[in-house]
Amino acid sequence: MDREKLIAKLKEIVAPYTHDKEALAKINQTTDFINDLKINSANLVDVILDVEEEFDIEIDNLEMAKMLNVNETVTIIESKLKALDRE
Amino acid sequence: MIGNDIVDLSIAAKESNWARTGYLEKIFTTAERFHIQVAKDPQIMVWLMWTMKEAAYKAYSRETKFRTFAPTLICCNNLILHDETASGDLFYEGKVFYSQSSIAQNYIHTIASEKASVLKDINPKISDYNEFDNSYRSTHPASVSHHGHYLALIYL
Repeated sequence: MDREKLIAKLKEIVAPYTHDKEALAKINQTTDFINDLKINSANLVDVILDVEEEFDIEIDNLEMAKMLNVNETVTIIESKLKALDRE
Repeated sequence: MIGNDIVDLSIAAKESNWARTGYLEKIFTTAERFHIQVAKDPQIMVWLMWTMKEAAYKAYSRETKFRTFAPTLICCNNLILHDETASGDLFYEGKVFYSQSSIAQNYIHTIASEKASVLKDINPKISDYNEFDNSYRSTHPASVSHHGHYLALIYL
């Protein structure tokens, strides 16, 4: 799956937790979940759980620690899919 | 350095389903999940320990400017729970942060600091949050938290 498709999927996942809909419309690699999308930190856990379900992957707590923005999140999803040979 | 965190309980109940499979495991240690499991009011315990972790993280990251999302690494200890208050400490990155919480009908608020002596002199200012009013910024609070209907400010 290419990066643009991954970002599009991620956009759908974060949408229900996003408090800044304008920032969501302009989502890109540099978008920060908390500072830009105004996602509540308690809902970051929902984002991680939704990512796990959507891509059928498991994210450990060290990886979760880095998932504060689109770029890091997509990079982690890509490496997981690659490891599972599901690029 | 000091950190504070507020949770609007009605908004939390609406926006966060902590009973969701896997949710608590991503935030709380085994010992903390035991506290939630046996608590008289599990929802209060969830948001109490959440605000403790957030307040300690804010106190820590204000100094280090390091951003991360690793709630299971911030461990709640020695939690003493009364009807409307709670105290405890948190262990994070080799440091101990002391915490003091108020448990109101509609919100839970916690302040945390490495200096226990600082906590007792602090009067948190909790008011209605208005997203269009940023005037509190010019008052230079030492720590700011807002959630749902509430704005919590700490002045040293």
